[in-house]
Amino acid sequence: MGRPLTRREDARILNGRSEFLDDLHPPRLAHLAFVRSLYAHARVLSVSPPESASGLLAVLTASDLEGRTRPLPIQAPEGAEVADEPHPLLAGGEVRYVGQPVAAVVAESRALAEDAAELVEVEYEELDPVADPRASDLELLRWRRASGDVEDAFRSAATVAGGRYAMPRLVAAPMEARGALASHDAAGDLLTIWCSAQDTHRPLRHLGHVLGWPPERLRVVVPDVGGAFGSKGSLAPEAAVAAIAAIDVGRPVKWTEDRAENFVAAYQGRGMEADVELALAADGQMLAVRARILADLGAYLLPATAMPPHTAAMLMAGCYTMPAADVRVSGVRTHKVPTGPYRGAGRPEAAYFLERAVDDAARALAIDPVELRRRNLIADFPHRSPLGFTYDSGDYRRCLDLALELRGPSPSEGEERLVGTGLAMYVERAGGSFEEARATLEPDGRVVIHSSTSPHGQGHDTTFAQIAAERLHLDPADVVLEFGDSALVPAGTGTFGSRSVAVGGSAVARAVDELGKRCLQAAARLLDAPESEIAWCEGGLTAGDGRTLALLDVAAAGPLEATARFESDLVFGSGAYAATVEIERATCRLTVWRLAAVDDAGTIVNPLLAEGQVLGGVVQGLGESLAEEATYDDQAQPTSASFADYSLLTAAEIPPIRAAFVESPSPLNPLGAKGIGEGGAIGTPAAVANAVSDALGGRHVDPPFTEEKLWRAMHE
Amino acid sequence: MKPAPFEYAAPRSLDEALGLLGEDAKPLAGGQSLVPLLNFRLARPELLVDINGLSELARLRRDDGALRIGALTRQSALGRSELVAAEWPLLTQAVRFVGHPQIRNRGTVGGSVAHADPAAELPVALAALDARFVAQSPRGRRMLRAEELFLGPLTTALEPDELLVEIEVPPVPEGAGSAFVEHARTAGDFAIAGAAALVSGSGHAAIALLGARPTPVRAPDAERALVDGAEPREAAALAASSVEGGHRRALVAELVRRAIEEAVP
Amino acid sequence: MRITVEVNGERYEREVEPRTLLSDFIRHDLDLTGTKVGCEHGVCGACTVQLDGEPVRSCLMLAAQAGGRSVRTIEGLAEDGEHPLQRAFHERHALQCGFCTAGFLMSLEPFVREKREPSEPEIREALAGNLCRCTGYRGMVEAVGQAARELGRG
Repeated sequence: MGRPLTRREDARILNGRSEFLDDLHPPRLAHLAFVRSLYAHARVLSVSPPESASGLLAVLTASDLEGRTRPLPIQAPEGAEVADEPHPLLAGGEVRYVGQPVAAVVAESRALAEDAAELVEVEYEELDPVADPRASDLELLRWRRASGDVEDAFRSAATVAGGRYAMPRLVAAPMEARGALASHDAAGDLLTIWCSAQDTHRPLRHLGHVLGWPPERLRVVVPDVGGAFGSKGSLAPEAAVAAIAAIDVGRPVKWTEDRAENFVAAYQGRGMEADVELALAADGQMLAVRARILADLGAYLLPATAMPPHTAAMLMAGCYTMPAADVRVSGVRTHKVPTGPYRGAGRPEAAYFLERAVDDAARALAIDPVELRRRNLIADFPHRSPLGFTYDSGDYRRCLDLALELRGPSPSEGEERLVGTGLAMYVERAGGSFEEARATLEPDGRVVIHSSTSPHGQGHDTTFAQIAAERLHLDPADVVLEFGDSALVPAGTGTFGSRSVAVGGSAVARAVDELGKRCLQAAARLLDAPESEIAWCEGGLTAGDGRTLALLDVAAAGPLEATARFESDLVFGSGAYAATVEIERATCRLTVWRLAAVDDAGTIVNPLLAEGQVLGGVVQGLGESLAEEATYDDQAQPTSASFADYSLLTAAEIPPIRAAFVESPSPLNPLGAKGIGEGGAIGTPAAVANAVSDALGGRHVDPPFTEEKLWRAMHE
Repeated sequence: MKPAPFEYAAPRSLDEALGLLGEDAKPLAGGQSLVPLLNFRLARPELLVDINGLSELARLRRDDGALRIGALTRQSALGRSELVAAEWPLLTQAVRFVGHPQIRNRGTVGGSVAHADPAAELPVALAALDARFVAQSPRGRRMLRAEELFLGPLTTALEPDELLVEIEVPPVPEGAGSAFVEHARTAGDFAIAGAAALVSGSGHAAIALLGARPTPVRAPDAERALVDGAEPREAAALAASSVEGGHRRALVAELVRRAIEEAVP
Repeated sequence: MRITVEVNGERYEREVEPRTLLSDFIRHDLDLTGTKVGCEHGVCGACTVQLDGEPVRSCLMLAAQAGGRSVRTIEGLAEDGEHPLQRAFHERHALQCGFCTAGFLMSLEPFVREKREPSEPEIREALAGNLCRCTGYRGMVEAVGQAARELGRG
């Protein structure tokens, strides 16, 4: 534990022996392409497949799915009202976003499927699309929580400050787009689906719901996954269609999403705007926060669409001792692809909304923004926020001090450039629910662990091996991890929300501890000594009189296995991010001069991998600050639907980043861990935004901070 | 994103290639611009004429004082050429901004010119150098100036059965300095704006703009002003004066100023 | 149409459609799936292979154009799987999900071969032709420096 071990997972990848979804090629494989809507809103009058086409095997429309399938389920956050607007698998009478799947075409190759898809004639009757959430006619999500005497706080406040802050929609853009390969064994009545997914559990549950089948008839396998960042959490409607196609055609069917599809049809992130007001006393003490969050949810509620706005709302008291809060969420329909979780999934939004308001409040009160935060930081834990979360542990002051130290001095402003500094604190919810692990002592003396989590680049294999190895006094090389096959792994919740080490790792720890106990009991029997005299030593167990047994010997006496389920309340990571930016006056080019990232993720198991998560998250956060925005015109047509228009940052744009960890162990799990996958994406946009506003003398600009926007802010 | 089906031909001679080209038969050179269009099914020719075998179009040499760039010259070859670096350094400077090495290893100079993307660097540098563009069709050979060739975004005067075969670049004035500057969102991304400047102490100034118009344009007023002794800042303001949009105008002015200052020997 | 291509030192003769992309030919016709496809419009670089030693985007080439040429993919990067770049990527944690990795390695191999002591800006420019969404690039910057120095020492 705590060692920066390099990853065992690497060798296969470096030698070209990785196996991602599109690398799978079972015999008789058929390929799936979709006919997708060209209109943002239209009635579908008819769908006419061609009589024939080269290599064409089948065409499926909504009517072929009627009576056999249900739309994807909707997850309603606690206390929320959600509309009954689930995403249909294939569009029935209406299409509601450009790119919505209308028909599915199965053919001998992807190219032939695309050819045949062009021959499917769809008759549309155009309807008026709604692109602006403020012009929406339908609320899909409503939630409100109020606590404490908010009215009184605002009445008695010396200052009320805040503003309207917005984060545009983003594309998760993992390097590997989505995909699924379904294969139906009619004789055995088993449908196997390989999914480029974040875990086996949600696809299994969603597919079972869609088909109305029990889990025993389904098997979900997750191969190597090329990134997800939240966008592969829910089962894609297209994947469910692939399953039906495999059943109907009687051959394995693969859908490899291409980049054009991913840009228009994969659920997008962020897309929220908030009106925030902070009530403060004259000395800067925060009395209450009021926020109205408007979420541009898109055309339907996918399973997790309602979650990020709820998460954002629940975190609106931030790191501060805020006695009262009143937060409302309204998620509205627009004729765009739905939104869903994307790295941070509501936490970056909360940090941005609140931290911008705190800076605006500091300006209104003429108090230094760092000092204002210091006066309000929570110092005693556990802390119950007015919105209902109980923060388990933290050291916010230390994070703040360290971030400022790491940021260091700024360059001097001058004729040629403006300089600004900004800070953002964040607290995030992570963990929660349960995960399981099964640890087995194999005959060859190695320990094999089946974990319910599912890595897609985070390094669970190496990390969990470290946890297990330490507890059993083994070399990590003697610990084998297995993930990603629902037929083999135990039940769990999923890999998202920075929960895998805290919950999955804890399940591994518990299972391994239990296995260790059984090994000790077995050793006691074999050594004919009382259990109390058996102890662990390097590579085995030893009796009081010096006799030792290697684990191999214990294994020879018979297989040993232990399963553990770990469940806990939410854990709360936190951090402080500090940015220095320069705006070149002549061109309005924004450069982040330095970024300091301090994260408190509790106990860090592998600092090398944890830092990798932070750096990756920071760069995504920089991307959304500098360049990324999923844009639509007023007819809700996507206008940034390829890498030519939607720019991801390259290595050449990355500023110096100084990352450090503060470790406030969580009392809620045996590892003390909290989760690190999202911190970089949570703290960065808010810190950069505050730095930009500082450079502009307090003027507010929403991300991305394009030169056009900065020009307007500086000249109008 | 797989292309729609097409026929494919790989002619061995220029005449054979010209005989095949037409409204539904497009030339394939480096493919760095055309293949993405094929993959998106935005381009759907019936026949693709692969001209990469026409090695006579790939020669890069000096002839009678002028630089003759065969249309099929790879952008990376242009970038590595010592001849070009020594005598037409503006081209060496400009080609560095074209995409990334992986793009330049396949992309051709002629392809970049014929595709006429408003964000392309080489057309702008060639316009600053008063280059002449040689096109050939079954009807014969003709030579076009930049303003005759570039008609609009992604539109040139080339006929469907006409191929750009060579680009002729006159010698650069004695003692002239040059610079190419560009502004893009990310490294190697499509340029938002840019400027090519070629300035000599002895009365020659050429300034070409990227991103001011849908085609490469020269800035004759600014050029005259420079020759008449104007400061780079003044000349740059003149060059950008017709650019629409406050930010874009300021950006172009800034880039022209930098290009002039870097170029002045 | 029939084409003959040399890939990783081995000669392959195959029947292809004119529209078959080199990336798909390598991955599906030759079963060399180490090369990945990320965008099919030449921006992400995941599909980068070497054509006669030069890095190119295989998604922007037709298989037909590779006829008579020599291609090298990630599977052929190192005889024993131990190119200094591969080792450096591992040691510096320069990969997470690994989807972009092959493209980066094939793009960087000539760079580390030719440059002894590249500066950080030079390294970042060399990396800029490929996209990674996971790592934030720092591990890669360190790995490239390490590999270049190692190769420079001979």
